[in-house]
Amino acid sequence: MSRNLHKRPARAGSRISRRTFTAGVGAVGLLAGTAPFNILRAQGGALKVGVLLPRSGVQAGIGQDCQRGVEIAPGIFKDLGLPNLTIMNGDTESNPQIARAQAEKLINEGAQLLVGAFDSGQTTTIAQVAEQKGIPFVINIAAAPPITEQGYKFVFRNFPTAPTILGDAFANQKEVFESGGSAPKSVAFLHVNDTFGTAMQKGIDAVMPKFNMPYKIADTISYDPKARDLSVEVAKAKATGAEALLVVSRLNDAILLTRELVKQRWSPMAVLSMGPGWYEDQYLKTLGKLSDGPLSFVPWYDPNKKLSKQLEAALKKAHPDVNLNTNHIYTFEALLVAADAFKRAGSADPRALADAIRKTNITENVSTGPGIQFNEKGQNDKLKNSAIQNRDGKLVTVAPKAASNAKAEWPMKPYDKRG
Amino acid sequence: MSRLFGGVPIHGLAMLAVCAFILVVAPYFISDYVLSVLIIVLYFAYVGQAWNLMIGFAGQLSLGHALFVGVGAYTSAALFIHFGIGPWVGVFAAVAASVLIGSVVGYLGFRFSIRGVYFALLTIAFAEFTNIIVDHIRWLGGTEGFFLPVSNRETIDLLNLRGSQVMFYYVILALTGAALVLCRLLLNSKLGLYWQAIREDQESAEAIGVHLFRYKMIAVAISSGLSGIAGVWYAFYYNNLFPETTFSTGKSIELILGTVVGGVGTLFGPILGAFILTPLGELLTHLTEEFKLDGIKQFFWGLCVAGIVLFRPAGLWPWISGLLGLDQRRDGGGKP
Repeated sequence: MSRNLHKRPARAGSRISRRTFTAGVGAVGLLAGTAPFNILRAQGGALKVGVLLPRSGVQAGIGQDCQRGVEIAPGIFKDLGLPNLTIMNGDTESNPQIARAQAEKLINEGAQLLVGAFDSGQTTTIAQVAEQKGIPFVINIAAAPPITEQGYKFVFRNFPTAPTILGDAFANQKEVFESGGSAPKSVAFLHVNDTFGTAMQKGIDAVMPKFNMPYKIADTISYDPKARDLSVEVAKAKATGAEALLVVSRLNDAILLTRELVKQRWSPMAVLSMGPGWYEDQYLKTLGKLSDGPLSFVPWYDPNKKLSKQLEAALKKAHPDVNLNTNHIYTFEALLVAADAFKRAGSADPRALADAIRKTNITENVSTGPGIQFNEKGQNDKLKNSAIQNRDGKLVTVAPKAASNAKAEWPMKPYDKRG
Repeated sequence: MSRLFGGVPIHGLAMLAVCAFILVVAPYFISDYVLSVLIIVLYFAYVGQAWNLMIGFAGQLSLGHALFVGVGAYTSAALFIHFGIGPWVGVFAAVAASVLIGSVVGYLGFRFSIRGVYFALLTIAFAEFTNIIVDHIRWLGGTEGFFLPVSNRETIDLLNLRGSQVMFYYVILALTGAALVLCRLLLNSKLGLYWQAIREDQESAEAIGVHLFRYKMIAVAISSGLSGIAGVWYAFYYNNLFPETTFSTGKSIELILGTVVGGVGTLFGPILGAFILTPLGELLTHLTEEFKLDGIKQFFWGLCVAGIVLFRPAGLWPWISGLLGLDQRRDGGGKP
C-alpha cells in the first residue's frame, strides 16, 4: 500500500495527507518524505502521460494498432523541438470497468495527463476519473457526442463526433461524384447488424436526407458480422439493380463481400464504405488487385501536410508493411497536444496543462482540417473527414480536394478486367 | 438475531467482525486505485449473491443475469435523465421492472417445465433480445449509448447518488452487507428450506408438498430484484450504458464467475470469489505490464480459474471454511 502512496501525483497530495493523518504519524512521516520528491519530479522531468488503450480483449488489434502511433511519436517530437514524454501504458482490456480502474492506477502511479481510449464506453469512464482528479485527458478516438457535452473542464477530444463523420461522408461522396462526372442513381445498402453497424444504419437514415444525395437506397440488407457466407446478401443486392454499394462492414465481411462480388460477376460503379474493413491492411494484403477501388469515408489525414509526411516516413521505418491509418494518426495527435501543451505551460501542473490545452492552436498537424483547436466544450470542432481509395495496395486521398493527393478512379475498374 | 448468527462459532463471528471493520475503514488507508478495485470486488460480490440465491439456493441456472442488472440500470437512468427522478425513488421502479421481466422468464420456464440448461438458454435468449430491443430505442440512447449527466463533485450528494467514489464504495458495501444478511435469513427460513429441497431433488420436494412453481418464482423474483438494485448502482457509478456491454452473455458470465469460484450455494462463496478473482486479475495485469506481454493476462487468468474449478470443484469457500473450522452444516446446505 505504501508503494501506491509513494507514487501518487503531487496534486493528490492534500487528500493523501488527510487520510494519512487519520492513519497515524508513521504514515505521515512516510508521505512527508516522499511527496516533495514527487513534486520535484513533476515539475522538472518529462511529462508522464498515461496511455490507456484496449491492448487485450475484443478490441486488442485496434489498441495495438493505436500503440504504433505512440511508438513513433518520440522521434518526431524531437525533430519538432517538443519536450520528451514519459509514456505509462495501461490496458483497458476492452472493458469500461477495467478502464476506470486502470485510469485510477496510472494517476496513482504519477501520470500527469491521460490519453485514450478508442472506445466511447471506456473513454467515458476514464473521463470521469480524470475530471474528478483534475488530470487532463486527451481523447484519441471516441465518437459519441455526449462525452464532450458534460461540462468537463479537463477532457479534450481531437476526434470528430459521429454526426460530423456521417455529414462529411456524404459531402465527400458528392465531391467524388462531381469530380468523376457521374453519380449512381441507386445503391444497395449492406451493413453488419452489430452495435456499430446498426448505429451507422440509423445515422445514415437520419442524416442522408439533409444532403440531397443523387442516389436512392434501393434496399437495406443487414447481416451477422460472424457470417461465413454472404452469397445470399450479395445476390439480393445485385437483384435490386443498384448501380453501387453502400456498406458498413468489418474486416472479415468486407473480404467475404468482395469475393462474393467477384464470384457473382457483379462490378458495381462504386463501393462506398462508411466504416472500417475496406481500407485495412489485411484487406489489401488478402485480396491483392481485387482490393483496388473501394472508397472509404473516414477520419483521416491530409497527405499534403509536412507532419503527415514525417509521420508516414516514421511509420514506414518502424513498420514497413503497415499503412498509416486513423488509429496511428489520432493517437499520435493526442500525444502532440500533450507535448505542445507541456511545452507552453512549462509545468506538469494539471491545471496549467489543462489551461494550455484549452489554448491549443496547432496548425502544423496531421489530420484533415485547419488544425487542432478546442472549443469551450473541449471538442475540436474544426476537424474534417476524408474520402480515401485503395490503389495498388496503398491508400490515396481523393476528397476533400484541399486535402487530397489523387483523383478518384471513377467508376471502379470492373473485377474481371484487372488482369 | 438467533436466525442470523445461530450456529456460527465465536471465532467465525470474530473473523466476520474484523473483515467488516477492515472494509469500513479501508477508504481511509488505501489509494484511490485500490479503492476502485475494491468497488469492483464488492459489486461482483453483491451481484454474485443475487445470482447465487437463484442457482445456489433454489437450483435454477441463469446465464443471462446481466438482463436483470441491465433492466434496473436502464430504468433508473431513464427516470433520472428524462424525468429528473432520483435513484432512491428510481430504485423502486428499477426493482419492479427487473422483477417483472424475471417473472416473465420464470413463468415461461417453470410453467412449461423448462429445466437445467434449457432454462439457462431461456435466460440467455431474453438477455440477447433485450439487447436488440434497447439497441433500437432512441429514448434509451440506442446503440450510441445512454449517458447520465456527470459533474465534478467534491461534495457528496447522496440523494442523487452523485459524488466521490468513496460514497459509491460505502453504498455498494452497504448493499453487499445487506444482501449477505438477507441471504442468511432466507437460507435459514422455511422458504430457504423449500428452495434447498427443490435444488436437491425437485420430484421429491414436490412429493412432500413443496409448491415448485410458487417457490421457484419467488427465487427468481428476489434474485432479479436484487440484481435490479445492482443495476441502479452501476448506472450511477459508471454514468454510461451501452446495450452490448450491459446485456451481453459475456457480461452475465463475468457476473457469476466469482460465485462459481467461491462456491455455488454457499453463503460466503460469492464474496470470497469476488475477492479472489478481481484482485487476481489486477495482479496479472501488473505482471503482464512488467513483462510487456499484452493480452497474456487473459491466458493466465483462465488458467488460474480453470485450476481452481478443477481442484476445488465445489468452490473455494467450503474448503477454506473447513480449514478455518467454521460450521458448514448451516452454510448453504452443508456443501463439503
